[in-house]
Order: sequence, then C-alpha cells, then structure tokens
Amino acid sequence: MNLTRLKPYLPWITLVTLTLLVGIANPAFFNPVGLMGLVADIVPLFIMALGMTFAIYIGGIDLSMQQMANLVTVVATVYLAQFGIAVAFICIITGFLFGAISGFVTTRLYVPSFVSTLAVGFVALSGAKYLSGERALSMDATLRNESFGWMFTTVAGIPSELIIAGVLLFIAWFLQTRTTFGRALKAVGSGELAAVASGLNVDKIKILAFAISGTFAAIAGLMFSVKLSGGDANLANGFLLLAIVAVLVGGTPLTGGVGGVINTVIGTLIVVVIRSAMIYLEVDATQQQMVFGVVLIAAIALTIDRSKLRGIVK
Amino acid sequence: MDAATYVGTQRRKFLSRERVVKWAPLLVLIVLVLLFPLFEWLEDARAGDDHVYLLDSRFFSIRNAARIFISAAPALMVAIGVTFIIIMGSIDLSMEGTVSVCAVVFAFAFIAWGGTLLSWAWLALPVAVLVGAFMGFVNGLVHIKLKIPSFMASLAMGFVGTGLALLLTGGDRIRVEDPIFRSLLTERWFNFPVMCYVAFVFLLIAWFIQSRTTLGRNFYAVGGGEELAHASGLNVERVRLMGFTLAGAFFAVGALLAVGRIGIAETATGNNFMFVSITAVVVGGTALWGGIGGVWNTLVGVLIVNVINNGMVVIGLPGWVQDGTLGLLVIAAVVLSTDRKSVSFVK
Repeated sequence: MNLTRLKPYLPWITLVTLTLLVGIANPAFFNPVGLMGLVADIVPLFIMALGMTFAIYIGGIDLSMQQMANLVTVVATVYLAQFGIAVAFICIITGFLFGAISGFVTTRLYVPSFVSTLAVGFVALSGAKYLSGERALSMDATLRNESFGWMFTTVAGIPSELIIAGVLLFIAWFLQTRTTFGRALKAVGSGELAAVASGLNVDKIKILAFAISGTFAAIAGLMFSVKLSGGDANLANGFLLLAIVAVLVGGTPLTGGVGGVINTVIGTLIVVVIRSAMIYLEVDATQQQMVFGVVLIAAIALTIDRSKLRGIVK
Repeated sequence: MDAATYVGTQRRKFLSRERVVKWAPLLVLIVLVLLFPLFEWLEDARAGDDHVYLLDSRFFSIRNAARIFISAAPALMVAIGVTFIIIMGSIDLSMEGTVSVCAVVFAFAFIAWGGTLLSWAWLALPVAVLVGAFMGFVNGLVHIKLKIPSFMASLAMGFVGTGLALLLTGGDRIRVEDPIFRSLLTERWFNFPVMCYVAFVFLLIAWFIQSRTTLGRNFYAVGGGEELAHASGLNVERVRLMGFTLAGAFFAVGALLAVGRIGIAETATGNNFMFVSITAVVVGGTALWGGIGGVWNTLVGVLIVNVINNGMVVIGLPGWVQDGTLGLLVIAAVVLSTDRKSVSFVK
C-alpha cells in the first residue's frame, strides 16, 4: 500500500492515532462529559470551518471569515434589543451579502480570492468599528436569554450547540453531495477550465460558494456573540488560522475538488485533540499558534494536488 | 479616415492603457494631496474664516509631511520587501510575524549587549536583519521545496512568526530607550527625522538591486513568464529563494524603524503591516500578476496609503473609515492593473 492509496484515509488515521496517544497519556480524556464539553466548545470554530470548506473546495480561500464574524458579533449585539430572535436573519443576510461581494469581486473583477476576501474583510472590519463605536459591547442578559437561551439547554443530554452544528453539517453535506449545485462545486474545484467548457455558469457557482462561506462565518459569529454575551470588532480574532487548519488537516486540499464537509468534521476534531493535548502537556497558550502554523504547513504539503499546479507554484 | 476619427484614434493612443496604468498612481497621489486641503478650505469657508487654499492648510504643511513620512518609513521598508516578491508573481503574507520576531530579537539582543549603540549592542542591528533574512529563507524553502503556493506558505509562516514572537516575549513589551537609537525619531535634519533618510537610503539600495543587478532583472524575468525564464536556463527556484530572503531582510529593516519610532518592541509590532504593505504595493501600480512595477511604484503606493490615513484624521473623519477605504482601494487597484484580455480565470 503506497502513500497515494493511503492519502484519503490519512485524516482518519491521524485522528485515531492522536486520540489514542492523548488517551493513553491522560485517561481522563475519555470521560464522556468532559469530551462532550470539549466538542461543544469548538462549535463556532467548526461552523466557520464548514464555510471555509466551500471556499477551499472550489480552489479559492476566504480570508474574510474572521472579520465577518467580528462584524456579526457587533450586529447581533446592537440589534438584539430591537429585533429579538429575528436578529439572526439580519446576521445571516449580512454574511451572505458580504460573501457574495467577495465572490463578485473575485469572479467578475478578476481579483484573486486571497486579496479580494482580505479587502472585503477590511470593509467588514470598518462596519464593525462603525457600529460598535470601537468599544466592546455587551448584550442585555434577559434579552439574550429570551431570544437565545435555548442554545445553552441540553436535549436528551446533548448540548443544543452540538445539535445546531449537526443540523448545519447536514445542510452543508446535503448541498455538497445531493444537489446539482454540489456537483457543480466539485466540477469547478476539479478543473475550472473544463467546467467552463462544459457550459457551467462558473461565476455564479463561485459567487454562491463565497456567499455560503460568508453565511457560515455569520452563524459562527452569532453563536460566538451569544456565548460571550457581547460584541466587539476583535472578538473572533484568532479563528482564521484554526478554521484553515481544520479544513486542510481534514483532507480538503488547497487546490480544491476533493474532500468536503465530512473531512472538515475530522479536521476540526483533530484540532480539538491537538488543543487538549497541548493543554494536558501544559504547552503555553502563547505557543499554540506556532504549533498550529507548523501543523498547517505539514497539512498543506501532504494534501495539495501538485499535478493541478501545472509545474508552476506561484 | 476623416479628421474627427483621426483625432479620436490619436487620443486613444495618447491615453493608452499602459500609460494610464503607469501614471495613475502618481496622479492619484497628487490629487489626494490637493484634495484634503480643499476639504479644510471648504470647512473654513463655510464657517466664514479666512483661509488661503494650501497656505493655511494644516494638512499641506512641512510639519504634517514629516508626520506622514514617519508613519510611512517602516511600512515602506516592508512594502519594498514584498514588492520583489510580487514582481516575481508570488506573494508574501508573512511580514507581520517576521517584523514582530525581528523587533523582539533586536530588542533583547540590544539590551543584553549593553543597551546603547556606543557599545557592542550595535551588533543587534545586523543580527536583526540576519534573523529577518533567515526567516525569509525558511519561508522560501517551505514555498519552493514543499511546492506550496506562496500565499499559503507565507501566511502559515506568518502565524508561526507571530507565535514565536509571543513565545519570546511572553506577552511583555520591551522598551528600547537608548537615546542614540531613538534619535532615529528625535533627531531632525531639515525638519525630517533621521529615520526618513534611513528609509530613503534603503529605497535607493532596493532600486539599485532592482535595476542594476542580475538578481533584480531575474525577478522581472520570473514574473514576466516563468516557463520562458526556466527555458532560457534561469534557475528559477534559486531566484525565488533569494527573493524571499531579500524580502525578509527588508522586513527586518522595517521592524527596526518601527521600534525606533515607538521605542517599544512587542508581538503587536507587526500588526497591520500585512494589509498596509500589500495595499501600498498594488495601489502603487505593481501588478499582482508579476513582471510590472518596482520600488518607486511602491514609494508612491505607501505615500498614497499614508496620505489617506493622515488626511482623514486631519479633516476629522472617524477612524473606522480608514479600514474600509483601504479595502476598496486595494480592489480598485487590482481591477485597474489587470488586463482582462490576458487573464483566463482567477482562483
């Protein structure tokens, strides 16, 4: 069995090996309640990574997610009093629109996605700073509990957050594998020129993919804001790296076309395990970013499809 | 052909795409420099105060020019570094990490070896530049040997760099209070602090590298057409590696000027350099596709960005406007510099 045949299973193998290693070193890791809490904690990151999967699946990237989530935390906090739970729709529409703008700039204006999303991210940051008045805002506790209190309940012992994550995962999985749109995404990711030649409206598909990515960033931002009961133009900082790591470690390569949302589940779990291992090994919080940076490089190097780069790596 | 259409074609030639793209950045800079005083003039005219356009402007003054140059100097160094990379058609997003690490390493070494430029502590300056060059070298190795697209390789290396800086400082700020080192900011020649002249000297060095050395010409060769460059016997990988190393060294110089400006080295020293420098390079007219532009374009771009940031404060616009404006500016610049006929699709 050579490495190419093994490649699709690498994320699984990594996850199981890491879990066992951590479990052997620290048997308390397998305590179901603790494990569930650990996973529930990571739900906003997981949602963000789900969105990122769509951007990377088509061979692009979305560097605006962090700023988008920041903006949404502010939007949610500011408009909660006025709209109650309907603020969720405002947040989701905001994310969808900003994502669509990124997609538009990328496809119609020929700006590479890493620049266009970076730029749109700064526009979102601008909005967040404007709405928040550059201060950290906090939500009214009663209003929050009225509208979003259900997020902290448990259904049959399972935290609601996990159920939300499961529902979103199902939607993303359905979109990706059971719709024509999903097949079109794969076509664009596998070979854009071929997709154009076979008559697909590639621009539309790409714009939608970025819009979905923005939507998920918004949902992540909303959850984050409810969890921390506030909004701030810097609240979600630090999530971009982890979201990219989760997608790439899961086995969706930077070149797109393979992998998908199920891989992102595994990727996110790997991130969780690495994180808890670092906590157990008493790796300082300050060093975690370094570790994840190195993990990211290793993951890209292992997954990237070099035949698609046509010999030139820019 | 009648006279009218003849004139029409002539004019179109005069305003050819290349010429517009070449001179647009400088034009934008001049317009901006004249625009902000206009706002001030309008404001005073509405209030009924005496105000001679330009002469009475707070923006259009030597004092404010010095302020703009001070804030532009570190960004210029970082932007020059990334200019070389963008000319090659790659990109480097690692500057925030590299700048932080260089600043922190410099501060530690400087203080450990005596804390004043008159002792052996001056060695901290070249050491910082070497550290920057080394980080750029590693960055280049990751990009070339592992065949990872440069934006992702350098983004990841940037995260590693920020983490490393945080690890070194443990979140502390290190003060560099040596008056001789701080004279970068405090000592003024002809109204402008020394750091402006230092930045200018490095700009000239960069210009020399770009136009008078084989390496500089090779950057353009790689950016203009990598396959062609490779086919004509150029060791493209080596050129790329040298490019990233050189960029790292310039990031380090930027870090030194940044420390000189505020007298503090910390993990946050590198913050914001990424977006500002990329914006400056593309706004200056260096195309993201490579092969076009250069360090003078970058000078114009850095000045545009800093004039906008400064002018907005002078005319009293709130701070949040700046981020959004830069975001739109970068999109506009890339759109203008892209020749749509030659691009089939973008990722």
